[in-house]
Amino acid sequence: MHSDKIEKFLEKQKTALTAGGQDKIVAQHEKGKLTARERIALLLDEGSFTEIDAMATHHYYEYDMQKKKFYTDGVITGYGMINGRQVFVFAYDFTVLGGTLSQMGSKKITKLMDHATRTGCPIIGIADSGGARIQEGILSLDGFADIFYHNELASGVVPQITASIGPSAGGAVYSPAMTDFVIMVEKAGTMYVTGPEVVKTVLGEEVSFEELGGAITHGTKSGVAHFVAKNEYDCFDKIKTLLSYIPSNNTEEPPIVESDDDPNRTDHNLINKIPENSLQPYDMKEIILAVVDDRKFFEVHELFAPNVVVGFARMHGRTVGIVANQPLSLAGALDIDSSNKAARFIRYCDAFNIPIITFVDTPGYMPGTNQEHNGIIRHGSKLLYAYCEATVPKITLVIGKAYGGAYIAMGSKNLRTDINYAWPTAQIAVLGSEAAVKIMNKKDLDNAKNPDELKKQLTAEFNEKFANPYVAASNGSVDTVIDPAQTRPMLIKALEMLVNKRDKQLPRKHGNINL
Amino acid sequence: MISKVLIANRGEIALRVIRTCKALGIKTVAVYSDEDYNSLHVKQANEAYHIGKAAPKESYLNQEKIMDAILASGADAVHPGYGFLSENSDFAKLCEDNKINFIGPTSESMDLCGDKMRCKSAMLKAKVPTVPGSPDLVKDVEEALNIANKIGYPVLLKSVYGGGGRGIRLVTNDKELREAYETVTGESIAAFGKSAIIVEKFLEKTRHIEYQMVRDKHGNAVHIFERECSIQRRNQKLIEQTPSPAVDQKTRDRIGELVVSAAEAVDYTNLGTAEFLRAENGEFYFIEINARLQVEHPITELVSGLDLVKLQIDIANGEPIPFKQKDLKMNGYAIECRINAEDTFLDFAPSTGPVPEVSIPSGPGIRCDTYLYSGCTVSPFYDSLMAKLCAWGQTFEESRLRMLNALNDFYIQGVETSIPLYKTILKTEEYKKGQLSTDFLKRFGIIDRLTQDIKAEKSEKKESALAAAVIHSEYFKSRVSSSARNSHPWKSKLE
Amino acid sequence: MEEQVGIDMEYKIEDVEGTFDAQILKNLGNNEYVIKIDSKEHQLKILNMNSRGIEFILDQKYHKAKYLENTTSQMSLIVDGTPLKLNVNSKFDEIVYKNTGGGGSADTRVNLHSQIPGKVVSINVNEGDSVKKGDVVCVLESMKMQVSIKSHKDGTVKKIKIKVGGSVAKNDVLAEIE
Repeated sequence: MHSDKIEKFLEKQKTALTAGGQDKIVAQHEKGKLTARERIALLLDEGSFTEIDAMATHHYYEYDMQKKKFYTDGVITGYGMINGRQVFVFAYDFTVLGGTLSQMGSKKITKLMDHATRTGCPIIGIADSGGARIQEGILSLDGFADIFYHNELASGVVPQITASIGPSAGGAVYSPAMTDFVIMVEKAGTMYVTGPEVVKTVLGEEVSFEELGGAITHGTKSGVAHFVAKNEYDCFDKIKTLLSYIPSNNTEEPPIVESDDDPNRTDHNLINKIPENSLQPYDMKEIILAVVDDRKFFEVHELFAPNVVVGFARMHGRTVGIVANQPLSLAGALDIDSSNKAARFIRYCDAFNIPIITFVDTPGYMPGTNQEHNGIIRHGSKLLYAYCEATVPKITLVIGKAYGGAYIAMGSKNLRTDINYAWPTAQIAVLGSEAAVKIMNKKDLDNAKNPDELKKQLTAEFNEKFANPYVAASNGSVDTVIDPAQTRPMLIKALEMLVNKRDKQLPRKHGNINL
Repeated sequence: MISKVLIANRGEIALRVIRTCKALGIKTVAVYSDEDYNSLHVKQANEAYHIGKAAPKESYLNQEKIMDAILASGADAVHPGYGFLSENSDFAKLCEDNKINFIGPTSESMDLCGDKMRCKSAMLKAKVPTVPGSPDLVKDVEEALNIANKIGYPVLLKSVYGGGGRGIRLVTNDKELREAYETVTGESIAAFGKSAIIVEKFLEKTRHIEYQMVRDKHGNAVHIFERECSIQRRNQKLIEQTPSPAVDQKTRDRIGELVVSAAEAVDYTNLGTAEFLRAENGEFYFIEINARLQVEHPITELVSGLDLVKLQIDIANGEPIPFKQKDLKMNGYAIECRINAEDTFLDFAPSTGPVPEVSIPSGPGIRCDTYLYSGCTVSPFYDSLMAKLCAWGQTFEESRLRMLNALNDFYIQGVETSIPLYKTILKTEEYKKGQLSTDFLKRFGIIDRLTQDIKAEKSEKKESALAAAVIHSEYFKSRVSSSARNSHPWKSKLE
Repeated sequence: MEEQVGIDMEYKIEDVEGTFDAQILKNLGNNEYVIKIDSKEHQLKILNMNSRGIEFILDQKYHKAKYLENTTSQMSLIVDGTPLKLNVNSKFDEIVYKNTGGGGSADTRVNLHSQIPGKVVSINVNEGDSVKKGDVVCVLESMKMQVSIKSHKDGTVKKIKIKVGGSVAKNDVLAEIE
């Protein structure tokens, strides 16, 4: 019965699957890009995708648009599973009207985002779009704004991840920028506010798409991209890995992944990774890898601001967010980019119940007019603000140098850090010994017969007295000086102690972080 | 009479000795380092003493610590196993001085055997033929070069304090000799604490044939047949078998008599092994005596029906050997494969780490001496031998097939093993025909054949692999329904 | 209840020729399925399954498989004791690798990893040297044996990350070779 209606339905269903036309799909493949549906199929668990609004179309009349009506209207939306967890996903479909955003497209996406915030599940957006649908004019721009509004509504409520596997231009780039994590695929994803043609016209500057706004550019220079993927497979792998570390919404704890790595594992070799000469650099990631579960560290913003390292790891099965100075780069000094990078990461962890462990070895802030004129004061304050604001468990371990303002900024005790550890090699002081002596003993040095020798002597005295963790330990700024071999068990003990930590901020609309 | 034995060793050989002691009602004492807290030999001994850190020189090579454990436990005898202190005459002497019964030869005899040069001259006196080479230790690399050129390349550069394949390098010209001289010195010092080099002619296409040698404290000596151990890599044995396809009864008896003479020439007591190289023309050349129980002793046990560790203990107790040479008859054929934790394709580099699951083969004619159990760990501090898989059969073919099946059933997860390599070797026509020689791997392109075999095995399993892969998604579908039914904290948060 | 269940997936198996189509045709309930591999149908019954592995009967024959690693493009398994790597969705490979070349995420393989733990006995190249695949980069000592670590590709030594006398753990990066 009703066989003609069933037939019509099946016809329409089939059309929706290749809405833009087979030729457009072939063209997409020729460029080395997968279609939106193929991407969703690869990202989600096999067969778990349920599409919504497959038969939606635009309702625009100008510019003969009625003749160019296609199902899905340029974006595929729906829900499915990733490793058994429900997620919501939308993917711009370049094969349908160039993936341009219309009023209907915006409606589809915001409908999806509403589902996500109501059910508490992550949102993943795959960007591959020609940008605004010029024919729809303001309606398209308003459509973007609607999406941005929903990004804000969801921000800090559910995780939002953007995969950039194609162009995003003009206003379209702001949605990814408002999401929590952006993954760009090399030689495929591009993001810029103003394209190369306009740049050439207005400024006479010639630059390629890749160079202006490609994955590497945003991964290293601007910090817009948190991850750079080698290809689409790698992109989806990274998303799945990222999801495994974070909860589905802000009321949940991150998923626990049991490991065979003994929580009481001691490592007598750990201290040997720090060179005797404190001026010699070493790789902080070696320390991190040795301490976390199974030597697995999922680094975020790997290529941006390398003087600070941030990323996710697990300790005894539980996700932690790691923030650490990297002595290999700029000697581990803090600067504008690293302050931004760390502050943003800390605030993400705080929003999603992820404890923060900070590893400290920093000589201070980068000096110079470049930093000062570009506002190291403002940007540096963000890091302090973020630490203070965070109410998740916070643990800091001082490994080496921790001088002055940088000591304060890297999770020091009075930023309401819960547990502060230090290794015997820690040097917590207001200044490095040389600088300190110059200032505090200026008179003596000026009047000395042999100023160099006196300086040497005073420096040695200063080192003896202050370049250690014991002064800090004596007044409670450091809770415990620990045996480096015990680092892993001590960190895990602190985390377990803090697992039910509850802390509140005073009621207010929101603070005024110096943006 | 020995009543309590301390086993100064670890791994499978410690288990082996414990097993016989238990059967004889003798108490056992184990020693272990930081790495071996969870080892089977620690769990199975009557008592166990912790003797130090993981590194061998802090534990299993530390004579003071081991002697402390012997005295603390009241053991009246010590079994040194193989490797570690088993051929260390200082340790044997230390035991003798402390009136502890060292289950093995006297320290003097061990000293003589360990000094390859003195041993060689003792053999020559007893009319046992030896391999051409340097008359004494070479003073330096220049002397080594002289001798090498005199006896003709290729030659072997050997550390006198060697064994188990360490401290040996094959060189084919002056340049290689210079390079190898350094390496051999280094390896010898690392493993045995001392270095001294000799040069020996390298005979090609030789077969490594050794004899199980026994002599009691009353001067009675017998041999318990030969073992062929020609299939090696880097001078370390991989597969051993008995009887040797190249030895008929006449040869067995003839060389056996030489073995008895050799034992007498060095006044050897207890069990040891006389190693020979058989050249292509059938000539046998004595190489050395291993003054200890060999790794591959199980195959001799399988074809003789004897318990060699029991024989060791009896002799140590002063009893005479309970049989005469004419009473010994070989029964059947036995093969042993040394299952090592190694990556064959990475030049046999050691593979270490946890072994979450292991399944050990068994059945008629199958014997497996191993320290493995599901959940154990292969340590990077000790050698890579994990298990000795032995197969016995009425005929050679039966033992070969039983070994192949056992190899197929042997599953070790977590480390690379030499099991695929042995499967390939045992399937070759050359092996079946007994065309063995110490260059077997290279001569017959075994590594290439291994690569082919692995590809074929993968191809065989492709259907089940595809089935497992395609059904993988089903797992998540079934999890969907269960997670959807759990109540979500999200719903109850209505602030 | 019978239902058409799975999508047609295309696979490639490392070291085995050809590509294969595999699909779940029917879910017969009670953990029994009909699957299709290329053009042949098979009966499959799941005996036991969890995220780490599966025991099943395929056409009256028992099999055991362990799932080791599962990325978007690759699945590593141990099937009846034999380790295997499968390329999943291999029909997309050509498109995905068009612009970037090479396979998989761990791939431009600048890093030369150590397969074994050990002590660095010698470093046989300098930064800036050009090396060929198979050239000895360094020698490690492990289990009293000296093992030469060879370069995994042709290239130039960009950085040496180890020191003579230092110790390395399994999988540590020894050098960067571009």
